[in-house]
Amino acid sequence: MKCEQLKEMLPDYWSGALDQTGKAALEAHLAGCALCQREFEQLGSVWRKMGAIPEERPSAAMRARFEATLEAYEHGLQQARRVERRKKLDHWLAGWWPQQPAFQFGFAVAFLAVGLLVGHSIGRGTASPVSSGASNIEITRLQEEIHDTRQLVTLSMLQQQSAGDRLQGVNSSYQIRQPDPPVLDALLHAVNYDQNVNVRLAAVDALHRPASTTEIVRKRLIESLQRQDSPMVQIALIDLLVEIKEKEAREPLRELAAKADVNAAVRTRATWALERIQ
Amino acid sequence: MDGQDEAENLVDNRPDDQEMLAVREGDVGKMGTLFERHHRMLFNFFLRLTGSRAISEDLVQDVFFRMLKYRHTYQPENNFMAWMYRVARNAHLDHARKFKLELVPDTDEQPWEPASHDPSPHQKLEQEQEVALLRRALGKLPVEKREVLVLSRFQNLKYEEIAEIMGCEVGAVKVRVYRATKELSEIYFELAGEKAS
Ligand SMILES: [Zn+2]
Repeated sequence: MKCEQLKEMLPDYWSGALDQTGKAALEAHLAGCALCQREFEQLGSVWRKMGAIPEERPSAAMRARFEATLEAYEHGLQQARRVERRKKLDHWLAGWWPQQPAFQFGFAVAFLAVGLLVGHSIGRGTASPVSSGASNIEITRLQEEIHDTRQLVTLSMLQQQSAGDRLQGVNSSYQIRQPDPPVLDALLHAVNYDQNVNVRLAAVDALHRPASTTEIVRKRLIESLQRQDSPMVQIALIDLLVEIKEKEAREPLRELAAKADVNAAVRTRATWALERIQ
Repeated sequence: MDGQDEAENLVDNRPDDQEMLAVREGDVGKMGTLFERHHRMLFNFFLRLTGSRAISEDLVQDVFFRMLKYRHTYQPENNFMAWMYRVARNAHLDHARKFKLELVPDTDEQPWEPASHDPSPHQKLEQEQEVALLRRALGKLPVEKREVLVLSRFQNLKYEEIAEIMGCEVGAVKVRVYRATKELSEIYFELAGEKAS
């Protein structure tokens, strides 16, 4: 046997797949070839050492993330099927009634909203079914078009019942380098409607970075300021608007500073902010 | 690979195949069962390739998401394991491309758990040092060589299965395993020599 042939046999020898005849031939060659003997020992020892590298256990969070992703995906599929059925029904209706696209659209949105309320928890409190429905459609679209699981997990976590889960959703958004509109939308939704102040605050913080403060987000943050009732969140929003030097916020800030029923600390902060946004 | 080999593989993977077929037909919840069976193995596959626990966890998520997304492309005559590892390789390739880095293991990660058996403290230390050295050596290996070693040595896949994953002949896999081991051994003993002197 040539040295070349021995090398070809080594992988089978290591994996235990070499038969008796093969082994005998291998040993016979090694006995008479110092070079191969040396290589056989060195490579064999490295192969054995590889076996000592221990297997590791992934974190428990990994399973949780997978489960959230799967749930969001299943939900998205159901959603898509529902929309599909709706389309078919619309088509059928169109055969009976004159074409009224606006009516049909409105009906479809209402149908979707009802479906969402029945089929999925969107959090209690003042959550608006329509805007929540919009972000759910976007979840479906996301699932179809992109495979960035982080965005999906963020979106799915933000829809959870428990405030802890939603907080985790907000936190996971930090891992998204360039959040997509649906994620920004979900974060803004949290700022405006989440019944838990901690989640609202965390969502403000999560939007507080260059990748997030797009034109639309800036505009919607100003709207949030006018809608917000928690002084803490109001102050966080004011600070953010100062940070990004949002000139459009001047008028709403002035109003806030002048409103008698607004918390005193918030009014002071608004005045302070006005001096800084010139 | 001849027909008989293929039939044997199918028998081995029958449960996985059935789950995956169910997923393909729309019962996506069955992916949970496949996750249970394979996530740990995949995690270790990526861990050996990237050296990063965080990246590996992300990549595992990515693999299961891709399998959901591309479930329609799964064919019953496919070997599920081979299909899953093909998806995994693509996920890793895309990741490496995206970040344009030759991933080098042995970075910021937490120390490795000690081996399961209980050698003397001295032996233990020695073995830990060897493992650390080997991890460094693996990190210096070109990624395609590292990959074939990870598949054969750490994932315990048969060369026939690796051939199916990589889309080449069994003979070619064995040649790659030999070459990768040889190169790893050269790097390893060079590092060990550096350390000794
Ligand atoms: Zn020889």
